[in-house]
Amino acid sequence: MLEIEKIFKRIIQRVNINLRDLAFDVSPFVTGHIDLEQMNKFYAFYGITSDIPLDLKLIHSSLAGSYFLGKCRVTDSLLYKSDIRGDELKRKDSTFQYKNFNIDLTEDELIDIKTSALIKTLVHNYSHDPETPERFFIKNTLSLDYANIHGSPSDGCFLGPFATVDLTTMRDCVIGAYSFIQAGEINHLEVNPGTIWVNSPGQFNFLYQYPADKLQHYIQVTAGGYPQGLLIDFIEEHEESFNRVFDAANLENTIKVPETASLDRYAVVLPSTKICENVLVAQRAYLENSYLGRGSNAQENCFIINSHLQGCNVTAHGAKIVEADLQSNVFVGFNSFLYGKQGSRISIGTGSIVMPHTIIDCKESLSIPADTLLWGLITNQAELEMNSIQLDDLRKINTSTNQGNMHFEGHGASFVEAFRHRVNHILEANGAFFHEHNNNVKGHAQNNRKLSLNTIQPFLFGEMQGVYPDITILPQG
Amino acid sequence: MEVNKYTVKDLMVPISEYATVPIGTTLFGAILALEEAQENFDHGKYQHRAILVLDDKNKVVGRLSQLRVLNAMDAADNYSRYEQLKIFKFSDTHIEKVSEKDRLARKIFTEEALKKVAKKLVNEFMQKPNPDEYVAETSAIDMAIHKMAAGAHQSLLATRGDEIVGVLRLSDVFAATFHTLKELEVV
Repeated sequence: MLEIEKIFKRIIQRVNINLRDLAFDVSPFVTGHIDLEQMNKFYAFYGITSDIPLDLKLIHSSLAGSYFLGKCRVTDSLLYKSDIRGDELKRKDSTFQYKNFNIDLTEDELIDIKTSALIKTLVHNYSHDPETPERFFIKNTLSLDYANIHGSPSDGCFLGPFATVDLTTMRDCVIGAYSFIQAGEINHLEVNPGTIWVNSPGQFNFLYQYPADKLQHYIQVTAGGYPQGLLIDFIEEHEESFNRVFDAANLENTIKVPETASLDRYAVVLPSTKICENVLVAQRAYLENSYLGRGSNAQENCFIINSHLQGCNVTAHGAKIVEADLQSNVFVGFNSFLYGKQGSRISIGTGSIVMPHTIIDCKESLSIPADTLLWGLITNQAELEMNSIQLDDLRKINTSTNQGNMHFEGHGASFVEAFRHRVNHILEANGAFFHEHNNNVKGHAQNNRKLSLNTIQPFLFGEMQGVYPDITILPQG
Repeated sequence: MEVNKYTVKDLMVPISEYATVPIGTTLFGAILALEEAQENFDHGKYQHRAILVLDDKNKVVGRLSQLRVLNAMDAADNYSRYEQLKIFKFSDTHIEKVSEKDRLARKIFTEEALKKVAKKLVNEFMQKPNPDEYVAETSAIDMAIHKMAAGAHQSLLATRGDEIVGVLRLSDVFAATFHTLKELEVV
């Protein structure tokens, strides 16, 4: 048996042990899902920049096609085409505020991945767990295609394809496909596919659940099979363009990028696309015939096609925008799929919030007014009315409401302000507000321009094929 | 004065005499199984009030009480929805508000509604046994009374090793207690 098979087998066993209370067996979802014998064909790479501490420890792991930035340790794990982005980790001597606690950090925060398999997964942000402020751990965890582990330490969990866990510590949980969870802390919880849950105890609680039969058209996972559905088909249709950027050693920029914007070397940009000032385009983003106005961003695994983003638009990790016109300050959450068509475009007014994991798949033009909150599955005007609310109306809610499959309880104003605050923070962190009149405070858009990349290779032959040698990378001195 | 020291085994209904159905049975199928078990059961005057759900290895994976059946009729398509709201920390007030809205929008005792609920599977409505609902068949009745009282359980699952061998019903425990009390000739 190859060493990589032993590593994978051990991970599956560890995850299953953690999930025994839920009687959940991950084996059927992963066996045969990735071809372990092909893992020696992909190199891994890491970013170097003077702004982010370089501290990589890679031990007894396979890292095929994965990317690392910042302080990361990977042990006894299998990472396939995953992005481990440590550019927002907390720094030594900074103070992390959690409720009434001011927690002083005595060392740089570390992303610590142990006995886990992450497949096409994004790991980003920092640990929001006050118990482990200097360690963003991912342990005994298995995640499938296009999952996002965002500021969410994890122990003993399974994330289905396109699942996102945001700012939540999770232990012994199963997160179904296309579910989004932001709840602070969850334990021993099995989340059905297509569950969108945003909970801030004492403040608000938002829940939407996709009708299971309708979600299957977009994503479904059957035991023993590869994830299927329109979301997978859509990504596969564009995969060829990524092969070109990953295969080439050097690539010339095909478009002009302003001094204050950054276009990642591993992004795909096709004509005729315009990138304005303070724009951030992350790796594995795909832009085609689109306009990204000042301060907009396209994060990892985003697709923006035949669309116009006026400015300060957040396109969060994995969001897809096709045939759409977005006025300024529209937020499109994680893994959302705005799927307009030629002749039936989607237009969204200023300041609107598209909740994470929203699908708009319309055969008619849809026009969404400014300052609207949207969620769930919208395929026509009637569903748009059912799955949206004006932010001003939401602000007035202080008890609870229910629209279709959506339930909301708590203070609507707190919910809106929490989102507004978060969107503003994302724009700031991404460098959208960089300006001489704003003290030239830089964000990722400006800092990433100084990023260089190194590649590392696995053993090509023998029992260790596909496994990387143990490597420690530290700056000199 | 020495009182009769009952064990769980003395009072339980053996699993072979209890109403059981395989997982995947419809609600109507489960009710028929309950009726059949009641007809064949002639120990005491108390009838079975629950149905045990077995997996393909004949292990008990759930229990369906009469109240659960009524809940199924009341909630119709919304039963699992209310369960989800509980899991995702919505208040009882909100769940009650939603269920009240649903109730007003539909009638329970119509031919169409009853036929629909009859076709639903027990998997959706059964209750998974909690760890405190098991009691060893060799345990003294004291232990069973303690578990029933502490957990407000209508019955306990009696075990022999890993196997479930019977059901200890509240009615049987109560009858035994009452019988002993009578023997004590309490004035």
